[in-house]
Amino acid sequence: MKSLFKSVLEVALARGLQAIIVAIIVGIVSFLMMQALPGDAAYRIAAGRYGYDLMDSAAAEAVRLELGLDNPWFFQLWSWLGQLAQFDLGNSLVYGTPVIDNIVIQLGYSLLLAGCAIATSLLIAIPVGIITGLRPNGLLDQSTLGLSIFLRAIPAFALGIVLVMVFAVQLKLFPVAGFRGFESFILPSFTLGIGLAAVSNRVVRDAVSDAMSSNWQLFARTKGLSMRATLICHVIRNASLPVVTYLGVQLAYLIEGVVIVETVFAWPGIGHALVHAIFGRDIAMVQGTALTLGLLYVALNLCVDLACRSIDQRGGGI
Amino acid sequence: MPNTLSKIKRSRLIGYLLIICLAIAAIIGPELIDKDPAKQSLFSILQAPSLEHPLGTDHLGRDMAARLLSGAQLSLSLAFLSVITAGLPGTLLGLIAARFGGWTDRILGAFADSVMALPGLLLVLMLVAISPGSWWALYVGISLTLWVEYFRYTRQRARIVLAEPSVEASQMLGLGSWLLLRRHLLPEIGPGILTIAAFGAATAVTAVAALGFISVGIRPPTAEWGGMMTELLPYWREAPFLILQPIICLVVTVLALHLTVGDARRP
Amino acid sequence: MFRSIRISLCLVLAILASKATAENNSPVTIVSPWEIASYDPAVSGFATQKLEIMENLVDADAKGTLRHSLATAWTVSNDGLVWEFMLREGVKFHDGSDFNAAAAVFSLTRSWNQPGVLKKAPIENILARNGKLIVQLKKPFTALPAFLAHASTIIIAKSAFTTEDKPSSFIGTGPFMVSAYTPPQSISLIRNEAYWGAKAHLKNVTYLAASRAETRALLAESGDADIVFTLDAPGYSHLKTVNKTETFAVPIPRVVVLKVNAGHSFFNDPRARQALSLAVPREGIARVITRFPETSANQLFPPALKNWHATDIEPLNTDIDAAKLLLAELGWVAGADGILTRGQERFSITLRTFPDRPELPLIATVLQSQWREVGIELEVSVGNYSEIPAGHQDGSLDVALYARNYGLTPDPIGSVLQDFGKGGGDWGAMGWENDQVVDVLKTISTTTDDELRKENIAMAVQILQQELPVIPVVWYQHTVAVNKKLRGVIIDPLQRSYGLSEMYWAD
Repeated sequence: MKSLFKSVLEVALARGLQAIIVAIIVGIVSFLMMQALPGDAAYRIAAGRYGYDLMDSAAAEAVRLELGLDNPWFFQLWSWLGQLAQFDLGNSLVYGTPVIDNIVIQLGYSLLLAGCAIATSLLIAIPVGIITGLRPNGLLDQSTLGLSIFLRAIPAFALGIVLVMVFAVQLKLFPVAGFRGFESFILPSFTLGIGLAAVSNRVVRDAVSDAMSSNWQLFARTKGLSMRATLICHVIRNASLPVVTYLGVQLAYLIEGVVIVETVFAWPGIGHALVHAIFGRDIAMVQGTALTLGLLYVALNLCVDLACRSIDQRGGGI
Repeated sequence: MPNTLSKIKRSRLIGYLLIICLAIAAIIGPELIDKDPAKQSLFSILQAPSLEHPLGTDHLGRDMAARLLSGAQLSLSLAFLSVITAGLPGTLLGLIAARFGGWTDRILGAFADSVMALPGLLLVLMLVAISPGSWWALYVGISLTLWVEYFRYTRQRARIVLAEPSVEASQMLGLGSWLLLRRHLLPEIGPGILTIAAFGAATAVTAVAALGFISVGIRPPTAEWGGMMTELLPYWREAPFLILQPIICLVVTVLALHLTVGDARRP
Repeated sequence: MFRSIRISLCLVLAILASKATAENNSPVTIVSPWEIASYDPAVSGFATQKLEIMENLVDADAKGTLRHSLATAWTVSNDGLVWEFMLREGVKFHDGSDFNAAAAVFSLTRSWNQPGVLKKAPIENILARNGKLIVQLKKPFTALPAFLAHASTIIIAKSAFTTEDKPSSFIGTGPFMVSAYTPPQSISLIRNEAYWGAKAHLKNVTYLAASRAETRALLAESGDADIVFTLDAPGYSHLKTVNKTETFAVPIPRVVVLKVNAGHSFFNDPRARQALSLAVPREGIARVITRFPETSANQLFPPALKNWHATDIEPLNTDIDAAKLLLAELGWVAGADGILTRGQERFSITLRTFPDRPELPLIATVLQSQWREVGIELEVSVGNYSEIPAGHQDGSLDVALYARNYGLTPDPIGSVLQDFGKGGGDWGAMGWENDQVVDVLKTISTTTDDELRKENIAMAVQILQQELPVIPVVWYQHTVAVNKKLRGVIIDPLQRSYGLSEMYWAD
């Protein structure tokens, strides 16, 4: 029990440190973005705020005064990072509303998408992996290997486009974009899920086939346990650690995929907001959304770490 | 077992062949085809493949084959350069960390961890956002993301190798570092480095295309596969063979790079 | 965050249940590219006006003729400096509070203090007297009522703002009220049962912002949206063939124009600007890019602006050789790489545009290629549109491409004054000023004599055609796709209203 607590503490500290680093990197890069805006930040901000036909130089001057864009850079950086440290994400330079308000809404949608994608990938990868793992090097195994390699090579956005073209339009099965209820989930989560499953099904397969050919499995069989019981009790539990570990490896792909897939499907989540903010040069939103994505990544990593630790403990460790 | 082994060898061979073909196409293709990828002809837009335009024309009448080859040049050269820029320092720093240990190791390790704190594409996206459309921002961003894996892998393996008795023996015999490197380290880490390089190149190509697709990366009229996909998306109904072309190029390139590695499991 | 999870779970059940229910009470879904970013009327005024949540004192019909709305009549003093507006009685805001002179003063004073059309009018003071709204001017300005029809002068309740004057809700007087708002992408409306005029037929309306043109077209085709605006050319072509939808292309007073820095040494001679104009392949662009061949802009003002569109003017056309000749006249000689040079100068310039309207980067790419044949090296910079007024102010702009709306107020004189009056304008002339035009525009904006107005308008148009401080490329067509079952749909060329209150479902 004590060792579990200690390892949890280690993990929490490490991830906590990572979270701080993420915040600093995002803060500094956002600040650089602000400084690097060619021409005039005030103009951009005013333009975003007041719209096409009403935008003019007087509006920009007003914005310049309001946001204090004339101070020297080190003052600005200091106050910038200071604000960040106080969890003050400021107001969207384009919408004028607090960044935190926008993010809270969008985070829900992104988490939904990420959750569904992971669920979809597990729903595909685990059964496929088990079946192919039980009969390694068979025909099914070979063909899934080939398919997996192929699917892994397709970038998420290309896959998304193809799926939209085929399913939403030609077959008119699913909605095209946005968030209009349950059906809207299917294409985006499938796009992301398939990319994840393409690799994780092989991990499951390898873990299952390893577990099947290991000694204790033979031992369990000789004890008289049926194939099925063996499978459930031992193989799966022992195979689950590599799978969960691998999920951790895939988290980067997941977060990146969320950004890209949300843009393809106009899913109103954090990734979509980030890309939008980059176009609108809405630095506050860029910082807020990038920070959220980064911290989400750290949080998910933490969950995976804890899950690994607990499986480890129960299974007797490796 | 031998069956699977030769299968793996076969796919690696296919991978290498494809890469070589792509490289050749990227290097001499544009010269061979001798068409300006930016030359427009508003009277012959969205045309099907013909003798004049072997892969058809896009929505502004530009030759698709010329644009694809130009895009290949861009993506492959960017990937190649990033891999070199990430690989050489990364491996070197890994070796240094393993060799000297102590504070050097800790500091370098911390630096690597910091870079890895953010998912790669996110980091590149933010760096590119500082000046969108800039080739340099892409190049620096991707290199920065890729170097860590070389560093970590090299450090881990080199540590193991350097602790081996055979190495100690060589050291006692007075063999210098250079020979140590050649005889002990390189054979040990070489194949792994190549694997990382292949995946790194695939990541670079995908990242360039992804950023081009969301219009934050290389901008038109420069031909780039991701950007071409965005440009051609509205015309997918009228001329589906057009948007499929950059998608196929991208998939084939990434697939080829993945195939050169024997193991489909590595991310 | 949890709210959105809960909502989606409810939606799962709702979707499953509601698939079978009748369509008649179903909400109408409108889709357009523009987001409703916040409660701030300076930002979302256009949208809330179009959705008929907010109203103005003055309204306009599809032809631009002014009508009464919240103001029932208006008069002006003899010297033209004092306007009196009689206000409608018995009107209530959506929260039940009264609409009266004080409310009108509050709302208009707020608009006056923010960037908007009222700043361009020579207003001295706005106040209430005897239940009427009084506007005092510094100079006569006949276009004042038209300005009060503009989206930046919508009437909003005081209760829509917090004590610190921060906008916190949408409270207007219109036939629709807001029932839900998910910024920036969607807003849901319900019918205002206490409306002062004829109630709307529709009970529920949902507005969605979809920024990609392909997405909008697909939403129209799949039936997820009942009205879709601003389709791109391929999407529009396809939707014409779809049975479920009916498509419209309405000419509106918006024009894709090239702004030229006439103060630049390359462009200070009108012949240089005429050369640029001759090198614009208008027909090709109209035919291939926007796919409306008849919108090739041979003059600045489109037929949609009846009074300003000249029927007897020398049209602008495309002639590469003539362009080359004109530039040669000005001393330009082709260099070894085909780019024109003049002494030490090299004809290399940058065009600024933005991607929010999908045609613009495409047109810029076409121009880049075409101008190269003339010998001009054009670099295209697709960025944020604010770089254009920025470049105007600091003089760094060479040329810019954008879509200017000359019908912002029902009478285009407002936009024309902004663009071509004294000192030019951010979205108009740069480094170019013509005294004759300044006088002519002044006459137009102050006179009430129709004949005199017509004469002066013709003069202004003629000068702009020859001097070309701004070069027209194509006139805009506003494309819409509508569900065939929806009736009473009127497309407003002035883009002031979606006409939701007139729509109803066919039985």
